Amino acid sequence: MSYLNVEEIETALDTLAGSHPGVAELIALPNRTAEGRQSHALRIGPPDAQGANTLMITGGMHAREWVPPDALVNLAADLLEAHAQGTGLRYGAQRFTADEIRSVVAGLQLVVFPCVNPDGRHHSQTTEPMWRKNRRRVAQNADPECVGVDINRNFDALWDFRRHFATDSRVSASANPCDPQVYVVPAAASEPETRNVVALLDRFSRLRWFVDLHGYVPAIYYSWGFDQNQSSDPTMNFRNASFDGQRGRGGNGYREFIPADDLRQLQDLGTVVNKAISVASGRGYQLEQSFTLYPTSGASDDYAYSRHFVQGAISKVLSFTIECGRSFQPPWNEAEDVIREVCAGFVALCVAVSAPGS
Amino acid sequence: MADDVHRIELRAKSIEALRALLDGANLDHGCRPAVRRDGDDYVIEVYSPVAEVDRLRSARSVPGVSMTVIENASEVGRARQAEVGSANRFAARIAPRGLGIKE
Repeated sequence: MSYLNVEEIETALDTLAGSHPGVAELIALPNRTAEGRQSHALRIGPPDAQGANTLMITGGMHAREWVPPDALVNLAADLLEAHAQGTGLRYGAQRFTADEIRSVVAGLQLVVFPCVNPDGRHHSQTTEPMWRKNRRRVAQNADPECVGVDINRNFDALWDFRRHFATDSRVSASANPCDPQVYVVPAAASEPETRNVVALLDRFSRLRWFVDLHGYVPAIYYSWGFDQNQSSDPTMNFRNASFDGQRGRGGNGYREFIPADDLRQLQDLGTVVNKAISVASGRGYQLEQSFTLYPTSGASDDYAYSRHFVQGAISKVLSFTIECGRSFQPPWNEAEDVIREVCAGFVALCVAVSAPGS
Repeated sequence: MADDVHRIELRAKSIEALRALLDGANLDHGCRPAVRRDGDDYVIEVYSPVAEVDRLRSARSVPGVSMTVIENASEVGRARQAEVGSANRFAARIAPRGLGIKE
């Protein structure tokens, strides 16, 4: 076996939808990539999904992180096959019963978008293995490095890092179109890949949880990535322009407000995921806030969680980034182990959030 | 190759020591600038030509930060490209099966 190429990912989603018409729906994303690719997501859940809470999982935002798209295709395939056969699922020692699988598919909308950046993945898998960004040329010069935008710095969440963050914060972002890793401009949500994720977030009115799967550390991160969290001063927050130029240093100055109950829920759900990973593989991931060494701006998880603060009518979306595995491109037999542990974590999350009262 | 990017582990007893070395260096921190704990140590992996990190360490004397070259990431990546599907294994419209055991 081998890693899926971008064409295989698309065909996999299409065949899964075709094979499970009652519980799986293929969703065409509205924006083609710079190289003309059409992306798709897969919705798994009851046919009448209006009343169902929604969990969304994305992968493949960063091209060189090969495991996440494969993991998400595997997750969808496992859930659908187990449901169709009336069986449970097992990853290592982590077991899920047939009743749990039935409850997930009947009671939860799961939206899986395995490969957000197919142009980048194709370039990484065929040409430059360490490529990270998408493949849209923004700068007008011919330097091959001056191609691409970091999609996971392009979301509208403190995207304008030069305005919002302290100059000595060392925020992980760049305005240089030739930066090989973290170029963020020309505008928030400028990239078709970013807008596809936003379109998917907008589509589901009962979206409650979002996970962006990346590689690697391994770790489970929750909001915020802007600065260290605090739950005592709600006025000290990302929307308050009086703190522009002060964010991102860590330490005793600015800290980002997060409601205590949200923080508790994030930690509780992260623990559920981590326990399943640990049972499946024999070792767990780090579970912590995503701000560790330096802050990030424009990241998908912070954007998903920030939306209800900015637009009151939007449902709150508790958000995570999971950095799976211990390398960008492990040998395939090792990648299979990472896929199993990640899938165990995600199925455990699905079971937890599809329980009554979630 | 001369410009190959290497996977380099930096290890220290404090985040402050890592920041003292890395602040403003504009290195590739991997997916995100994340530090992991390994016992009493703080660890981050960066991706860079070895010479660049050597220059940085020479320019900034930060005691207690150790550097270990884990692998030539560019070379590993090139080898890993042989483990990517070359055609379309689902072209016959047979749905994928995951790695979970159905029982």
